[in-house]
Amino acid sequence: MSTKSKLDLLQGTLDLLILKTLALGPMHGWGISQRIQRTSADVLRVNQGSLYPALHRLEATGWIAAAWGASENNRQAKFYRLTKTGLRQLRTETAQWELMATAVARVLNTETT
Amino acid sequence: MKSRLRHQLKALRCGAGMDRELDAEVRFHVEMETEKYVREGMEPDAARTRALRNFGAMATHKEEARDARGVGWLDALVADARYAVRTLRKNPGFALLAVVTLGLGIGANTAIFSVIDGVLLKPLPYANGERLILIQQAAPLANQPNFGVSIRELYDYREQLASFDGIVEFHQMSFDLLRRGEPDRVDVGVVSPNFFDVLGITPMLGRTFVETDDDEGADAVLVLGHAYWQTKFGGDRNIVGQVFEMNDRPHTVVGVLPSVPHYPNEVDVYMPTSACPFRAQAERLVNQNRRAFAALQVFGRLKSGSAPQTAATEVATVGERFKQSHADIYRPGIGFQARTANVLEQLTVGARPMLFILLGTTGLVLLIACANVANLTLARTLRRDRELAMRTALGAGRWRLVRQLLTESTVLAAAGGLFALLFAWSTIDMLTTFVGRFTARTHEIGIDAGVLGFTLFVSILTGLVFGTLPALSSRVDLNTALKAGGKSTGDDSRRRRMQSALITAQVAVSVVLLVGAGLLLLSFYRLQSVDAGFNGDRVTSAEVFGNFTKYPDAPSLRRLYVSILERLEGAPGVVSAAITNSVPLAGVQPGQTRLQIQGHTYNTPEERPTADVRVASTKYFGTLSIPIRRGRAFSELDHENAPPVAIINESMVRHFEGRNPVGMEIGFGAGPNLTWVTVVGVVADVKVFGLDREAVAQVYRPLRQSGGLAGRVLVRITGEPSSAASVIRGAVHAVDPDLPIENVRTLDELRERSIARPRVTAMLLTVFAALALLVTITGITGVIAQSVTHRTQEFGLRMALGATRQTVLRMVLGQGLLLVGIGLALGIAASLALSRVLQNYLYQTTPTDPVTFAAVACALVVAGLLACLGPAWRATTVDPMTALRAE
Repeated sequence: MSTKSKLDLLQGTLDLLILKTLALGPMHGWGISQRIQRTSADVLRVNQGSLYPALHRLEATGWIAAAWGASENNRQAKFYRLTKTGLRQLRTETAQWELMATAVARVLNTETT
Repeated sequence: MKSRLRHQLKALRCGAGMDRELDAEVRFHVEMETEKYVREGMEPDAARTRALRNFGAMATHKEEARDARGVGWLDALVADARYAVRTLRKNPGFALLAVVTLGLGIGANTAIFSVIDGVLLKPLPYANGERLILIQQAAPLANQPNFGVSIRELYDYREQLASFDGIVEFHQMSFDLLRRGEPDRVDVGVVSPNFFDVLGITPMLGRTFVETDDDEGADAVLVLGHAYWQTKFGGDRNIVGQVFEMNDRPHTVVGVLPSVPHYPNEVDVYMPTSACPFRAQAERLVNQNRRAFAALQVFGRLKSGSAPQTAATEVATVGERFKQSHADIYRPGIGFQARTANVLEQLTVGARPMLFILLGTTGLVLLIACANVANLTLARTLRRDRELAMRTALGAGRWRLVRQLLTESTVLAAAGGLFALLFAWSTIDMLTTFVGRFTARTHEIGIDAGVLGFTLFVSILTGLVFGTLPALSSRVDLNTALKAGGKSTGDDSRRRRMQSALITAQVAVSVVLLVGAGLLLLSFYRLQSVDAGFNGDRVTSAEVFGNFTKYPDAPSLRRLYVSILERLEGAPGVVSAAITNSVPLAGVQPGQTRLQIQGHTYNTPEERPTADVRVASTKYFGTLSIPIRRGRAFSELDHENAPPVAIINESMVRHFEGRNPVGMEIGFGAGPNLTWVTVVGVVADVKVFGLDREAVAQVYRPLRQSGGLAGRVLVRITGEPSSAASVIRGAVHAVDPDLPIENVRTLDELRERSIARPRVTAMLLTVFAALALLVTITGITGVIAQSVTHRTQEFGLRMALGATRQTVLRMVLGQGLLLVGIGLALGIAASLALSRVLQNYLYQTTPTDPVTFAAVACALVVAGLLACLGPAWRATTVDPMTALRAE
């Protein structure tokens, strides 16, 4: 066990993170998990078991699309990319997330006298 | 939305491809993860294990990913079905037993349903089938449930009923059709010209009748039935226009009917009413005699928009008018009424209760089959606990496992359904013959789309029913199951209780079926052993009707029959011969002639006693060995010019109120036609009309003093009964080569036929009950054997502590008999409540017959003991040391 605290992700949060990651460019499942882990400085850790169901769910809703391609080490991998509706969804969800985060922060910052 | 749909479609189309994709994707992920750990300095093996562990229970993720595709359930179904087939092929014994058990259960239901569908459910195959209404008259107080409609009454109905747009008549005759010189006695339907229009039948060849065919003096025309045209004319398409001789007149064929069932009766040919000599003669009396030719069956087609209820009211009103305007005919004493009936219901009313009893029976058989297969499956799930636990460990959810087990049941049931169709297909002819004894409507019985649908439905339902119990009991506790390594868990005892309950239920249902079959068998046995009052050994009967155009009156008919009789008596090998119209058990109904007894005065005709009047030639009583109780038999002296005489049977004696009837007189007819005949003898009662019916009062008249309408020949011969036919043919054709000879049967054959209905009914129920018992016995054996295996160590321990083999044997048998005993008690209680439905099919047997119930109880106890014997024996052979060491 690592000493750092690691957070389990809420379902909706994982979707948002996937969409955001893919907004930076097409990526395969393992790459997505690595990138999320790295950019969160190892705080967020993607449960790989929930990653693939989430990817397939997002693909089914049409927010992301998939195609097989060669990976960086020249192996066949399934690459996901953001679709136009996915981009719109990302904007909506980001806005919502910020709204909520601000709201939660405000509540938490209330002086306890 | 659209893209989601496309995704689902794609997923559906290439489910297997998507699975492979998912595999590849997961493999790629694991490889990348492994490489990462290797780069971080781990050993490749350790890295791979770590990567795999990170990924977690792979099966679950795959399934979740698959479910995310939205068509997971369908994919899963196909996969489950494949898995089920694979599992079942690994257990061919279990699979075969289950499929055969279910197949028999479903098959019996399919077969009975195909009959119910063909007889009761399908509409009549006529264009106007559902609008046909029968008009019936009854005089219940005069003991005439069917008071035939006369010509005059038919005309009155036609004039006064507004809710029909066509009312037609039918009566059936037998005439000799002469084609190429060869006589052929045909059943003729005599009908109104618009008969086929009202039914909605259009001819296959030529035309049906038109109004002008029915005019007085019109040329006689015929329409041929399809079956007759096929069998007698080989389907000759040039038949229309051909002319045949019938009733001394040329008859021209104008059309052929399509292959449809006939209503009300199956006949060979049809003719319009004017072509029937008897009907035409009666037509001339219509205005003098209101009840002339009161032998018509009348039905009409309801106008579209008219309610059947309106028609019923109208018909009843017309009947009331009859009573008011003709009180002399429709006397208050006879309780005359006119009413309507639905044609289809009328046609099938005789078969309905029997069919529902059979459906109930097969339903119970299927229940037993379900219980048995559920038990087998339970036994398997006990053994499969470790497999199921393993699958759970690999990430399969509980619902997933239940679904898997249910799929397995359904696959089994579907295979059973296929077997069932085979079974139904091979028994349907036998069943059709059986139902033919209860209703004329058997032509549409067959395995069609409706029946296939029923089988499919029942199969799936069956799969769910017998699959649910074991599946729901599959709540696998991972740790216990894996640790127990096949030993018992808490679930086990719950399942064993479930198994015991199932066995008890099977026994109970078997008891109900066995009691039903037992009652019918006992009743049939009693019926078969009834003394019919005559000896029919080596006696053969045949129908010989003199063509009425050649033998138009009583004297000519009497001459004909006397000559035939002389020839017969002179023929080699003939012991004795008779001419009569009373062949016992030939399926005729008793007549009801009103008589007067000497010394009685009667205020109304209803007070006069009724009797069945028969014609008997001199040696009739001798030929059938019917004992003379008093007086004498007929003799050659009772001829045309001698004083009129009669012989009565013992049932008739009571009308003489204690006086000796011999020498007294009976009055026939009324008014100017009243004739008195002297009783010269009393004979024993004979069961002429059915072994199950009480003898009715009968009066016999000598052939030579009768109206000559005898028509039936009886011969007792010394040789083989099969030679009787040629003896009769020789004698009859020596007198008149044109006389058709029909229905040559031995009296034993007729007796057999008369009880064919109860025989086949008892047989069918017995087969079903035996099937149920067999299935139940295998079920008991299975459960007890399993329990013995389970208790091996316990038995070993007991024997090590000094228990004898007898004690162990008694323990096992006791366990089995306890199940049987509880089931038996439940079954007997249920039978007491249910056996009443058989009341109408039982002869001199009460539905609660104690002998039958006791016999069934004994049979089940014996069967239960036999079923437990094998496993019990095995229990006593347990070697204490081996058993204890195994612990």
